Amino acid sequence: MYESIGPDRFELISVAQDSGNPRAVGKWFDRASPTFRCVIDPTHQISSLYGWVNVPSAAWIDEEGTIVRSNEGAYPGESTVRFSLGKVRFGDDSFARATRDWIERGANSEHVWSRTELAERLKPVDDDTRLAEATFKLALYFEAEGDSERALKHFAAAQRLAPDNWIYHRQGWTHRGTLYAGWKVLRRSSHLRKTTDKSFYDPMGLPGEKHRRFTEPEWLWTPAARRIRRLLRR
Amino acid sequence: MIILANGNTTEIAQRSDETTHLWVRVGDLPSATGWQIKPQGMCLGEMCVPLPDDKVEEWIADAEDWVWMCYSEFAYMIGQKYVRDGNVWSLGSVPEVRRSGLEYGIAPDFEVTDRNGDTLRLSDFRGRKVVLFTWASW
Repeated sequence: MYESIGPDRFELISVAQDSGNPRAVGKWFDRASPTFRCVIDPTHQISSLYGWVNVPSAAWIDEEGTIVRSNEGAYPGESTVRFSLGKVRFGDDSFARATRDWIERGANSEHVWSRTELAERLKPVDDDTRLAEATFKLALYFEAEGDSERALKHFAAAQRLAPDNWIYHRQGWTHRGTLYAGWKVLRRSSHLRKTTDKSFYDPMGLPGEKHRRFTEPEWLWTPAARRIRRLLRR
Repeated sequence: MIILANGNTTEIAQRSDETTHLWVRVGDLPSATGWQIKPQGMCLGEMCVPLPDDKVEEWIADAEDWVWMCYSEFAYMIGQKYVRDGNVWSLGSVPEVRRSGLEYGIAPDFEVTDRNGDTLRLSDFRGRKVVLFTWASW
């Protein structure tokens, strides 16, 4: 997206929200060998500041430093997200198209939010949210210190205080390993899909957007599982 | 004692006679919490909060050859949430800062390090359009 719109026309800051850095993040940066700015934010400071509860999220910030749009689930295109034992499809190219429009037309882009719209769409920050945030930071501290028991205790507390915050769930589960985290994401998504009308990501309100809710996961995508299934079919 | 605030981890001295509240040496306040004491009260950047007259003596105390401030009581007054485990205190965001920024659409500034260890500040890009994008490996 960055190269096709033109690097001289805007800055793209790509922020990895990973407490397991830089090892976990390095291999992704290497694979993509990006030409834009890549930063690591191990304490999830930026998500807290912008009120985001999931990844990927994005904000457009204009020349004066004003937020003119902010969305969760801002995938650059349709993406297949793999969670250890299954995969789920998310996103579409509507956000990338809208971004291109904003870069080209600035304030005249129809996708720019007014101040009132921005105030309405940003999630309110209540006491529980701020307490959850402090608790999550405490968990990340103990995780970095290698104190697993206390990290898990505070991850769980943050998840209870802010149940809709997927970052707290996913980062907390990842502490027990990516296999466990992937399985938990799929289990919880499945449960929410059946019992609530909650979306994984709020709708962005862009033309042509799809896959905001959890789609039925395709289980066992791993190469080993695929080989076993192929053998069984013979 | 360890303070987690604004994305930073700071180790500071502890008042040995007081462990239920968070007492911070006045000189440690800026690095540990971002706040500092000025004639007009407690200040964070350009924002200042006057200290209630009846609390000044209670919250600012001489002990062990240093001047200390009872930060947890102040945090409670301004609605800043905190959580503690042993000698580690984690301070949540200051409600007023969050409100003023997002209500007027001002993009909250931040400072992070890039892959090469260089510091990057959002405000460095004033005058250019910025797309801020977050992701995670999990």
